[in-house]
Amino acid sequence: MSETPADGAAIAPVDGVREAGNRQVRNVPAVGSDSNLEMLMCLYQQGDFRAATTLIHRLSPQLHRFFMVQFASRPDADDLLQETWLRIHAARHTYRAGEPVLPWFYAIARHIRVDHYRRSRRTVAREQGLGEMPEIAAPAPTAGSGGAHDLEALLAPLPESQREVVEMLKIAGMSLEEVARATSSSVGSVKQKAHRAYEKLRERLSGMGFGKGSTGGLP
Amino acid sequence: MKDREIDEILKQAAASGHEVDPAVLDRVAASIGSALRPVRPLPPAWVLEGGLILICAVVALVGAARLGFFGIEKLSGLERGLIFSTLGILVWLAATGFVNEMIPGRRRCVAPGTLLGVASVALIAVFAVVFRDYRTERFVSLGMACLIAGLLHAIPTGLASWWLLRRGFAVDSVAAGLAGGILAGLAGVTMLELHCANFEALHVMLWHTAVIPVSGAAGALLAWVARFRPGFWRPRALRS
Repeated sequence: MSETPADGAAIAPVDGVREAGNRQVRNVPAVGSDSNLEMLMCLYQQGDFRAATTLIHRLSPQLHRFFMVQFASRPDADDLLQETWLRIHAARHTYRAGEPVLPWFYAIARHIRVDHYRRSRRTVAREQGLGEMPEIAAPAPTAGSGGAHDLEALLAPLPESQREVVEMLKIAGMSLEEVARATSSSVGSVKQKAHRAYEKLRERLSGMGFGKGSTGGLP
Repeated sequence: MKDREIDEILKQAAASGHEVDPAVLDRVAASIGSALRPVRPLPPAWVLEGGLILICAVVALVGAARLGFFGIEKLSGLERGLIFSTLGILVWLAATGFVNEMIPGRRRCVAPGTLLGVASVALIAVFAVVFRDYRTERFVSLGMACLIAGLLHAIPTGLASWWLLRRGFAVDSVAAGLAGGILAGLAGVTMLELHCANFEALHVMLWHTAVIPVSGAAGALLAWVARFRPGFWRPRALRS
């Protein structure tokens, strides 16, 4: 692996511009594996700004998607992402080298999402007294819509706990063990949720005509 | 439809890149960069667990030394072994659970709620095996005295444990509070088993064991209250 030096030099930018004056870095380095993330996290703990920026660019899209899949609007997901990073920053000393990185990030992201859900529920409960809100149906999947939108629509009928498990397992590419760590549950429970989610998805997709020779994207 | 086909559909749905507004990322990077300095990672989990077990042992021993080791003196070797090995295992489980709750992404071996049930049932079962005197004399007054003494020893254990784990980050503060409360309650029960010479089965089974759920509930309640007053519970580093 080329990115071993502790000074962060190996986290070389693929492209982008470093604005040295205000320490703003717009680099998306070629990182992907867990060991890279682990190394970046250790450098981040040591105060390496480039490693921090790299982590932000590397992980933000999937954390953002994690929030979007849970029905957060885009501005809400942006807010949640920022809040998550601030919390990650404040709690970065709780990560220990050698532990899986993604469960640590997702456990904090999940905590932020749950907090947001509680806050919004309290707000909604206070606002309901003003009048009946019209029921809004989940948007139907449409041909050619963006990936995140397709994914939201596809996972829409699933309960929240199953949705997050499918998102972490299939989209973020985490293992059963990692999902169990991130959700503070057992591997058996994660397996069960994934199984139930797949049953529901199978029903839904079969109803939509999938599995009968169709090969395209979402209808 | 096979799982593989569902996997494929999910993969397709997620395939197109998910973009985040670069301005948001720049804002995050800027806010983190302005406060970036090296941090000292938490000690290994086994050190924290060992510290918690030590706190429990010290509080129980000091408490019993102050009040007198009347209970353990009256117990036979086998009874001592049975009671204190069970308490030891439960304290270890509670310490592990508390540490796991205070570090994000740690494997949760036993959920705090389950641990509460397991600890209560296990102790009642052991006490039922060891103590066979089913008389009840001054059941409530003596029982309340033991319950209060147990809880009074749970308080310093809870405070010291919180201090030890103050740099941790609880993703589920109520679960963490419950785990901490259970641990503190177990220290209280240990002190009672060292000190209390009242071997009436119902007294021990009810009033001694009750320290654990009461202490656990107090810990969870405090954490729940602290959820609405963030500065109360969260470490200084997390206060905004």
